[in-house]
Amino acid sequence: MTKRHNVETLVVLQPIAVDTDSSDREGMLVIANGMLVAVLVQLNDPEETRPGSWFMEAGFGRLRDMRLQPFDTLDDATRWVRQQMKLLAG
Amino acid sequence: MQDALIRKLESYEALSKQDHKVLTALVPKLRHVGPRVDLISEGDPPEHVHLILDGFACRYKILPSGQRQIMAFLVPGDFCDLNVFILDEMDHCIGTISACQVADIPRHAFDVITESHPHITRALWWCALVDEAVLREWLVNIGGRQANQRIAHLLCELLMRLQAVGCASDNTYPFPFKQSDIADCMGLSEVHVNRTLRELRSLGLITLKKRSLTIHDVEALKAFSGFTANYLHLKNGRWSERRSVPWLVQAQGG
Repeated sequence: MTKRHNVETLVVLQPIAVDTDSSDREGMLVIANGMLVAVLVQLNDPEETRPGSWFMEAGFGRLRDMRLQPFDTLDDATRWVRQQMKLLAG
Repeated sequence: MQDALIRKLESYEALSKQDHKVLTALVPKLRHVGPRVDLISEGDPPEHVHLILDGFACRYKILPSGQRQIMAFLVPGDFCDLNVFILDEMDHCIGTISACQVADIPRHAFDVITESHPHITRALWWCALVDEAVLREWLVNIGGRQANQRIAHLLCELLMRLQAVGCASDNTYPFPFKQSDIADCMGLSEVHVNRTLRELRSLGLITLKKRSLTIHDVEALKAFSGFTANYLHLKNGRWSERRSVPWLVQAQGG
């Protein structure tokens, strides 16, 4: 992943297993400009309204305590994190 | 309907014949309200006190972000806004969850009654005090219990409250709530609500089917959530022998 320009946040995703006390365990550490800002977990239960979507299991810093709908794709999640970082920086 | 109100209040306080007469003269307006409809909104002047006779409603606020916070679930027999009828404007909204039968009791009628009828006033205090006690417990719930305990606690509370008004049988009660309703009252995400309900089902503690919730092992669910019913003051009054309210069953039965 490369920076498009100077103000763009570099968001890196790193796979990690997450204990959610449920069958959802495939996760991603979301690292923005070298800092852990969120943990995403893929929802895999068929009873879930949107199986396969990515839920922000935990947020840190300014993303703490945010209750969000799951993201359809990791790209959507990454885009949102980048937007949030931009908003916060502005 | 007047009879229903009298019985509701008498479950808290002994009322005289004179009190009965005054309450009978209230002549409240009865109406049916569909699901997901606001009975009164934030900023509105509360001109009536709403009494839920059938169905479920909630007390809520919308934050600037659009996030909804539910502060109370209202079940049959509950006054929606007894605590705000002397205020100038609503500081929160009241909306139905399911279709409801609602009695609108004029605000001025309460003013007149409370001025000269101490037993009725005392019964109204009871209602308000129990509402406050429930709110306190919800604060404890949100601030002090884990997500799965919070939800289990709510399920126990609803069972007790609905049993008290004859709206639950065999530990089963109507459950018109969406996962977003539970999430918005517990400060949780819908994902966490979903996971918790799945967990409680897999533990064999509950079944949720056709908008009806069954608790299979009430004591186990109480232990799981640390539930103690004292705050509901269901069997704690001097009038405990009168605390069954068959009028609600009659009202719902038609």
